[in-house]
Formats: sequence, structure tokens, C-alpha cells
Amino acid sequence: MNFHLIDWIILFAYLGLSVFVGIRAKRYVENMEGYFVAGRRVKVALGSATLIATEIGVVTFMYFAELGYVTGFSCFILGIIGFFGYMVIGKTGFIVSGLRKLKVITIPEYYELRYGRNVRLLGGILLFLGGVLNMGVFLRMDGIFLTETMGFGPNVLAIVMTVMLLIVISYTVVGGMFSVVITDFIQFVVLAFGMLIATAFVLIRVDFATIGTVVLKQFGEAGVNPLVNPRFGWTFLIWMMIGSIAISALNQPAVSKSFASESASVGRKVFLYTGITLAGRYMIPMFWGVAALAMFGPTMNPTTAMPRLLGTVVPSGFLGLMIAGMLAASMSTYSAYLLAWSSVATRDIIEPLSKKEFSEKTTMRLSKIISTLIGIFILVFGLFYELPATAFQYIAITGAMYAAGAFGCVAFGLYWKRANIVGAYCSLCFGAVAPVGFLVLEQLKGVLPSSMLFLIDVNVSGFMSFVLAALGMILGSLATQRSHPPIVLKPKEEGA
Amino acid sequence: MDTTVLIWYVIFIIAMLFFFGTAVVITVIGVRDLKDLLSGSATKQ
Repeated sequence: MNFHLIDWIILFAYLGLSVFVGIRAKRYVENMEGYFVAGRRVKVALGSATLIATEIGVVTFMYFAELGYVTGFSCFILGIIGFFGYMVIGKTGFIVSGLRKLKVITIPEYYELRYGRNVRLLGGILLFLGGVLNMGVFLRMDGIFLTETMGFGPNVLAIVMTVMLLIVISYTVVGGMFSVVITDFIQFVVLAFGMLIATAFVLIRVDFATIGTVVLKQFGEAGVNPLVNPRFGWTFLIWMMIGSIAISALNQPAVSKSFASESASVGRKVFLYTGITLAGRYMIPMFWGVAALAMFGPTMNPTTAMPRLLGTVVPSGFLGLMIAGMLAASMSTYSAYLLAWSSVATRDIIEPLSKKEFSEKTTMRLSKIISTLIGIFILVFGLFYELPATAFQYIAITGAMYAAGAFGCVAFGLYWKRANIVGAYCSLCFGAVAPVGFLVLEQLKGVLPSSMLFLIDVNVSGFMSFVLAALGMILGSLATQRSHPPIVLKPKEEGA
Repeated sequence: MDTTVLIWYVIFIIAMLFFFGTAVVITVIGVRDLKDLLSGSATKQ
């Protein structure tokens, strides 16, 4: 057992504080905008803290560390690509400023404005399914991290997962975005400190020179050059270049934070400042994974190597602080994701299907019920589903399921006047085909002929999803300009 | 140490400095933003 009394005290004090503050935030929820986007009054520093806290979770630490363990320094390229992706959005306001000016709460709301109600419904369903499937592995990865670092082993995994979920649902459901913003801020501070502590103790035990030598010995050039690494290559890098911009600008839980900002300009700056930290928050857990390789050798389970390393090198007392930081990271991610996907389900699927306008009270009540149901789903899914590939591949491909079509619809919708409803349908459907095909065919890989094996290459599927979505939008729109003239939108907010 | 490894380490250290440096700035200014957000919000009693 790595976890001692002092660690438990720190952990419980922190969890108690989080839940107390989150529930107290209920006092500030006046209406629906208050619940979903914190009344759109969030400023740059607070918005950046909450966006960073949303995007860092134990699951991100886990899959980045896993990549570090199996690819060496080559995976650091993802930090550089992601950094430039955010810089493009932060400098130009690409997509996020356009959406913020239209004052939408969810991305499918934009589909209705630009393409019609049925596109909103289809887009909402794809966004919700892709998003919830994407979230499905979070709880399991978090559970593995906690049980490994604390030294409990896999037997208590289900209990740890259930307790975590109950804590997050309790304050997200009650307090909405105000809770998320306030607790995110506290969690951001704690998790940054936790990352600093963990990195310092890793470096005390395993030095830079040893890590470099082990990586070269284990992988050769593939450990330092992503182009020759068999898991990466050009297809992967191009997919990540497009995907980093698309997923950053269109990931509903993240853009909710931009929509919550007090103006389009603030929303853009939130992305800029968040982007500055991006390379670091990708590379730090990747480095822990590489350090785990140097410490334990290549024979460990890549998923459990990093948590085992932290549980070994971080001493008692600091371990409690670090786990509190990591839990902070996860709780902020869950709360933002639960709120985002429940708002999509309520506003973009159930309301359009019921064909009547819900009152604000009904919308919020439904959203709370759906948050709870999503929580139960990810608990069951996490306990029973076996990942078809690495966690990073799974997250990336389920992300592409909704991001590719959404990117086609929103980017073309905002910047191409000819984008129309037929193009939107084609983009959403074509964008989902390759990722869904991958997830299905991956299960049948034993019976696939060798000529079709490229279809279960995760990099090809991810890349093709964006190409097909763009082609669908362009060809579908151009072919039907006369029968389906495009709708022209005017922003609700000038300047900014 | 191999030159490519050294380059990755330099990039890693710069990335870490950006992360922790920005975290400190955001924390300091974020406290003020949080106070503004809560003071500007009517509370339900």
C-alpha cells in the first residue's frame, strides 16, 4: 500500500472542499444561460483556467503516458502540432469567434440556423453518440490510475470508479456551469501543482541521460523520429494537423467554455492562452511514460506503467497532494463533459424530436437527468468494454466520428457561402463512415482479406474521415445549389 | 547524449516552462476574474 494516513487526509479535505464549493455555486444559477454558459460573463484568465482544467484529465495523462511508453520521444510531436492548432484558433478566432458571435450554446444549434432543424437533429445525435462513446473509457482509465498509484490493485477498481462518479455528478447536476467554472479554477491550481510535484520526483529518480539512452536502445531512430515510427508516419501527422484544429475548435465541452466567455474576443483569447500551455500538458505525461520505460523496462503493461512509476517515486504526503491534483483534473473534465453532452441531448435531440419548445426549467431538469444517465453508462461501459487499440487511438477515432462532420458543417458553413443543407447531410454522414467502419471492422479483423486491412489502420480511418467530410460538403452543396439555396446568417453580436 | 534526444529535451523544457509560467499568471489573474464573476451574479436565496 503506497497510500498513508496523511495522504488520505489531504485527499478527503480536497474532495470535501470541491463538492462544497460546487454545490454552493447553485446560488448563482438564475436561468438557462446561467446553468449552461455561466451567464456568458467569464473573463480571459478564468476562462483559460477552466478550459485547461477541462482538457486535462487523468485519462489524458494515461493515454499520453502510454504513448510515451510505446513510442519514446516521437510522440512529443503531438504537443507541437496541438500547440500550433490552438495558436491558429487563438490568433484568428477560426470557428470559435464566428460561433460565439451567433450566441449559440451548442454546436448543433448552429446547424439549425445555417442548414435547418433536421440537420441539427442528425448532428446532435452524432455529436452525442461520438461524445459519449469517447467519454466511455475515461472512468476506467482513471480507476486504473488511482488503484495503481495508491497500491490497491485492480480488485477495487469498480468501487473507485463509482465513488468518483458520484462526487462529480453531485455538483455538476446541481450547479451547472457556475459549479464547473468555480471548481475548475480550484482544480486547475491543484492539478498544476500536482504535475510539478510528480515531474520533480520522477527526475530525482530517473535522470535525463538514462532516459535518452534507454529510448535509443529500445526504439532506435523510431524513438526520436515520428516519421519513421511505425505507429505514426505522414498519414498520422496530417490527420493530427487537421484534427487538432477541428477537435480543438469543435469539441463541445471545450467550446462551451468559449461560449461562456463575455465576448467573442475573450473567447478567442481563451484559446490563445490555453494553447501556450498545450505542448507542456501533452509532453509532461508523455515524459512520465518514457521515464517509466527507463525505470521498469519494456515488459510492463503500457497502461499501468506510468501510474506504477508515480506510485513508486512520489513519497507519502506528496502522493496525497498529487492524487488530489490528478482527481481534480478528472473531476473538472467529467463535469464539463457531462454538462456539454447533456445539453446537446436535451436541446438538440429531445427538444427537436418533441416538436415543442421546452421551458428553461424543463430544459435544465432534463439535462440533469441525462447527466446522471450518461454517468451510469460510462460506469457500465468502463467496467465491461475492452479497448480495440491503445486508449489514444480509441479517443482519437471516436473524436473523429463527430469532429470530422462537424468540421465540414461549421467551417464551411461559416466561411463558404455555398454550403447548404445537402452538403451538411453528406458531410455529417461521410465524416462518420470511416471511424464507425474502423470500430466495426476492427472486431472482424480475423476474417478480413489482406487487401482490406488498410481499413483497420486507425491513422487511415482518422485521416479519411476529414477528407470524406470535406468532399461531402463540397460536392453535395455544389450539386444542389438551385434546389437547395444556402441560408445566409447575420451575427447577433457586432464588433467584439 | 544523442543530438536528437537533446533537441527533444530542449523542446520539453521550453514546453514545461510555458505550462507552469502560464499557470502561475492564470492563477493570479484568475482569482480576480472569479471575484468579478461572482460579485456580478445575482444570488438565489
